[in-house]
Amino acid sequence: MMTRSRFLLITLLALAGVLTFFKIPLASSQGVTIAAAQVDGALPLDDVESALWQEATAVSIPLSAQIVARPLFPQANVKAVDARALYNDDQIAFLVEWEDDTLDETAVRVQDFSDAVAIQFPLVEGQPFFCMGQQDGNVNIWHWKADWQAGMNGRQDVDDVYPDMYVDGYTFADTEAGAAAPVSSYEDVNYVPAMAADNLYASPAYASPVEDLIAGAFGSLTSQSAEMQNVQGHGEYADGKWRVVFSRDLASLEAEDAQFATGQVYSLAFAAWDGANEERNGQKSTSQWVSLSLGAAATDSAVTESASADSTAPRPAAPASGGSASSANSLEGVAFALVPMFMLVGVMALAAVGMWLFTKLPDKKK
Amino acid sequence: MGRTMIKQRSLFKWLAVSALVEWLLVRTLTRAAIHIPKSPEIAAGYAVVNQIGLVAAAFVALLSLVLLVWIAWEGRREVWLSLTLVGLGGVSVLFLVIVPPAWLALLYQLLGVTAVLFICAGAVRAYGGKPIWPEMAALLFPAAALLAGLLYQLLPTLYALMGWSGPPPLTGVLFNLGELLVIGSVLVWWWTSRSLPNRSRSWIIWLLAAIPALLFALSFWRDPAMTGILTIWSTGLTLFLPWPVYALALWLVGVTVLANWHSHPALAYAILLLISAGYAPQLSSQLFCALIALWLLERPLPLTAHDRQPVDQPVKNNLITDYR
Repeated sequence: MMTRSRFLLITLLALAGVLTFFKIPLASSQGVTIAAAQVDGALPLDDVESALWQEATAVSIPLSAQIVARPLFPQANVKAVDARALYNDDQIAFLVEWEDDTLDETAVRVQDFSDAVAIQFPLVEGQPFFCMGQQDGNVNIWHWKADWQAGMNGRQDVDDVYPDMYVDGYTFADTEAGAAAPVSSYEDVNYVPAMAADNLYASPAYASPVEDLIAGAFGSLTSQSAEMQNVQGHGEYADGKWRVVFSRDLASLEAEDAQFATGQVYSLAFAAWDGANEERNGQKSTSQWVSLSLGAAATDSAVTESASADSTAPRPAAPASGGSASSANSLEGVAFALVPMFMLVGVMALAAVGMWLFTKLPDKKK
Repeated sequence: MGRTMIKQRSLFKWLAVSALVEWLLVRTLTRAAIHIPKSPEIAAGYAVVNQIGLVAAAFVALLSLVLLVWIAWEGRREVWLSLTLVGLGGVSVLFLVIVPPAWLALLYQLLGVTAVLFICAGAVRAYGGKPIWPEMAALLFPAAALLAGLLYQLLPTLYALMGWSGPPPLTGVLFNLGELLVIGSVLVWWWTSRSLPNRSRSWIIWLLAAIPALLFALSFWRDPAMTGILTIWSTGLTLFLPWPVYALALWLVGVTVLANWHSHPALAYAILLLISAGYAPQLSSQLFCALIALWLLERPLPLTAHDRQPVDQPVKNNLITDYR
């Protein structure tokens, strides 16, 4: 015989099926949140000491060694980063700070590795795998490199490390400019194919110390083209500590860029490298996803559906919750705000009918 | 409230089982295969498994909310705890349709902390102010671990609301301390439950419980990479302690659940709910599961109807609905 408990269980199970089918979230997220502070006027894009940064609360985010992809690297040096964010009507900026005993800002020799830090944003609804995303779950990565920062004031080359070296190259280039000679100074670009192909690593001059990248799993990291590099950065090292500012316009016209809007909640993750510890590429410290709120929001009210092994797990551009807070790329529009609301009303009506039936059932087994 | 019987046993059982299913399917099994190349058929199979897990997740969210309200109603004499639980449920539902301002987010997290404290206080009162410490430890250890996780999430929100520059001090230490308490909870549960009457003492339980622990150890030996990342991803634990400690904890928690599944179900359900909620629970449904687990642990052990019935009171027929 149908008891109240059994009826309740069956009703809830049916309801769960319906809600899952319509992708209506039933739980809210409450993880660690970086609350971006809004400021009037210009952001301190190249001033890590600016008092404006104190208007934003820093959040300490623990990092652990990346131990998923080989070569494994169980002993990374950077244990945590402190991150805070500011935004105005046009731009957003992040200040990331971490302790590092050594300044490593050159990567000219094969045995040298540079300090670095990166921020990662999902380009799909929910949270894909936090290490470089996954299939059908791309991420946008902003990668600041200390050697690129140092190269902003003059590209580092082998003669910087070995000043007495003899150079018999640059036959067709401006001999005075050396490595900084632009591709136009070469008579034949076949001598500098990487530079001719706008490979950022071969660029005679860095426009920014931050590389704007896309990834969709290990081994898929791809730099955006030179004209799509739109993230600026500035890093300073002092007293055993790196302070790095990332900045970009809130909105980007590029589909492979994270988008930001006031009143929204996004996911982001961090990674850091200590060059002195020979950390590079996948040998790094990473964080899990944390939330970033712009405006009044202070927590992610969206269910960030977990990534899973099926290839269709994270879906692009779908709302996470009732048209309110969402991860990056939530759908826009009145329809999307109203449809889940109507669904909820329908569910509540069903629940009312269920409650009425519930009262008609016997209390327990006979 | 502390000395009432466990009513609605079947609801708690289904909550524990469905939370376990969601945890194993969505947060463990499908994630374990995230970087394994899959044929379309295998991928479709994983999609089906994931979908089942998502239904389980929705079911857990609904049932945990219902049980939270039910607990508030049952314990309405302890008005503050009831109000806290209802407030938590109400705010979490509100979060589904609005973007919460900072103060509301902080209120939600404070309600979570308050609920944990009220449940612990209720347990002390249930023992008439003279708690039996080994049994109280079975509640206080997981409660302290949950508090550490909640405070780790609450402090940045508090700092942001107050306009303090931050970061909050010692949050890393707090996080690691909470993880230590999670392991401590497992040891306390096992140690405390050893003396419970009617628990199964079959050696087969030790063998069965060793299977997941051996799988974990084998997995760690074969591929520490994926084992570590899966543990973080599925339970929130960072494995900062030596891995044999976690393997031992997994073994003992399995033994405790299996040995008490029939004789002391509330303990077994509570442990499953806490495991499924994970350390520093991210979702409201996970927090509700953890609070429900603490509420189950609040009852003085042993936790069955017959063991728990006060000797000077007649057994009420409706003490356990759907018993067995």
